[in-house]
Formats: sequence, structure tokens, C-alpha cells
Amino acid sequence: MRKKTGLGKKKELNAELNLTPFIDLLSTMVCFLLITAVWIEIGTVEVKQSHGTDAKESKKVSYDLDLVFKNPTAMHLNLKRNGRTVKRYKVKGEDFKSTMAQLNSTITSKVLTYKNKVIEIAAATITPRTGVNYGDLISTLDVLRKNKIVNIGVISARGK
Amino acid sequence: MYLNKSLVEADAFEKHLINRKRKKNWGVKAIGFTLMLTSMVDMFSMLVVFLLQTFSSSPEILITKGIEIPDSITPSIVKEAPVLAISKDGNLYLDQKLVGPTKKLVKNPNPLMKKLDGIKQNWGKTHAGVAFPGEINLQADKEIQSTTVSQVMAILTGGQYHSIQLAVIGHR
Repeated sequence: MRKKTGLGKKKELNAELNLTPFIDLLSTMVCFLLITAVWIEIGTVEVKQSHGTDAKESKKVSYDLDLVFKNPTAMHLNLKRNGRTVKRYKVKGEDFKSTMAQLNSTITSKVLTYKNKVIEIAAATITPRTGVNYGDLISTLDVLRKNKIVNIGVISARGK
Repeated sequence: MYLNKSLVEADAFEKHLINRKRKKNWGVKAIGFTLMLTSMVDMFSMLVVFLLQTFSSSPEILITKGIEIPDSITPSIVKEAPVLAISKDGNLYLDQKLVGPTKKLVKNPNPLMKKLDGIKQNWGKTHAGVAFPGEINLQADKEIQSTTVSQVMAILTGGQYHSIQLAVIGHR
């Protein structure tokens, strides 16, 4: 702080920050935030079981997509219009990771641009199969959701 | 006090030794601790900023013990709803309470349906005149067969729980 010279009667301007309440506030905030901190971010992936509910009616009916697992590395994609299959795509990979990459490219380059037109998938269904674990099912849902297919249902499949 | 006493009572040589010791101590500086306030405030501010950034006010759900939930790159926020958990040990839990073995419940879902109906009725009492949203959180271990999960989902759909939120660990 610069001292004023000459005017002896005027008081010095004390602009120093009082650190004690500042540190008190900061430590209280740190404690509160540390206690309430969420270290694992839990999210959800929504599945609308369209069979027997009105979930299908919430979107304009354009095309539907059926994804049928044959095994963890092979699946069929059935593109449907008004309940009738208009195109079937086979997706196969060496391992699950490559199958997912294959699925993503098939949806992006073939399904969503069917007959060179940008189409909208109103609803998608997944039929699981024995050998496909729940983690793989979530990865498949991720691929669909990444391609803006959000109205997804899972068909009940007994230990096929 | 003791030193003074010793000074009074000590002989010449002892006096000399005591004085020498005193003189030695005169040179020693007092030990003092100074806290570096600037760096401490800096650290606190950084911590507060980081913790405020990671602060989440969305509802949290408890992960049932023994369940390793899968990862997802497209997670949505968690909604408050009953939590159904399919454990790796083959048991099914509703809101952390054991319902029974999953295999048995898939064949005979009545005990689960009764509990789900109870939740639905309670909801109806507290939300009179509002349509039941049919939301439920489903937790399952990532190693469980997807067919088992789909069978449980079919039971839920039958009990008018058609909006199923599959719990995942979010990785954006």
C-alpha cells in the first residue's frame, strides 16, 4: 500500500481482504461439496416396450427396424414398413466390437439412407439370444441411440 | 525457577557452566510456523471450482451390492422410480429387498407382480387423477444373459411398467 505524504490528517485507505471469513467460507464449501460429490455418474438407457402400449403411436409411422441376434457376432436387421419387411441386412463381425462397428456403418450408410432417401426410424426392436449378455445388449442400444433411434423395445426371448 | 535456585546455590565453576549454556541459547532463533495463506486460498478456490463443476443435483439411485452395471456412451439422467435389480447370484431385488430367485420368478411372476401392484396402488393414492407413468429402473449385472433380462422386462410390461430405465454407468 502506498503511503500518502503531506496530508497527515487523512486516514490511509485499507483495501486488504479479510482472509479469515474467506477461508472459513471456502473450507465450509469444500467440505459440503466433498460430501455431496458423485464420483460414479449413473445414467439410464430408456427402453419403451412398444408391444401392447401406445409408445409406437407417439411418433410418425415411417419405418421400423427389427434387430435379431443370431449369436453375439451376427445379427439380422429387418427394415419394415407398415409391418412388412422391405429390406434385410446381415451384419457379421469377427468379434463383438467389430460387429458393433459393422452395425453402426450399416445403419448409417444403408438403413438411414434407404433407396437414397433419408428415412426416419419410428421404432426399433431388439430380439436377444442366449450367448448375448446384458452388457452386449446395452452396447447395441448405444449404437441405435447414437443414430437417433430412441424409441427402442426389447422383445422377450426365452433361452433361444 | 530451578535455574535461579541453581545460580544462587552453585559454586563458581557451576556458574560458569550455566552462563555458557545460557549464552549458547541466546544465539538460537525462536522457531515459528508461518502458513502460506496465498497458496492455501488458491488451493481452496481451485478445489471449490472443481467440485462445483462436478456437482450434480439429479436424483441418485443406489446400486445393489454385487451388481456390476454396464457402461454406456449415450446415458440419460436418472428418474425417480422403483428399482428392480437382477443380481449375478440369481436373485431378484425390488428396492433393495429380496423378492426371490430370478429363474423361479420368470416361471411364476406372481410374487413380483403383487409387489409391483402394491407400488402402483400406493402411487395412485398419492397422485389421484394422474395417469400412472409406468416408469421403473432396472439394474442388471453386465454378465447376465440378455434373454433373462428380456423375460423380466416382459413381466414388467405385463404389470404396466412399460417405460423401463436400464441403469448404466455413463461415459460421454
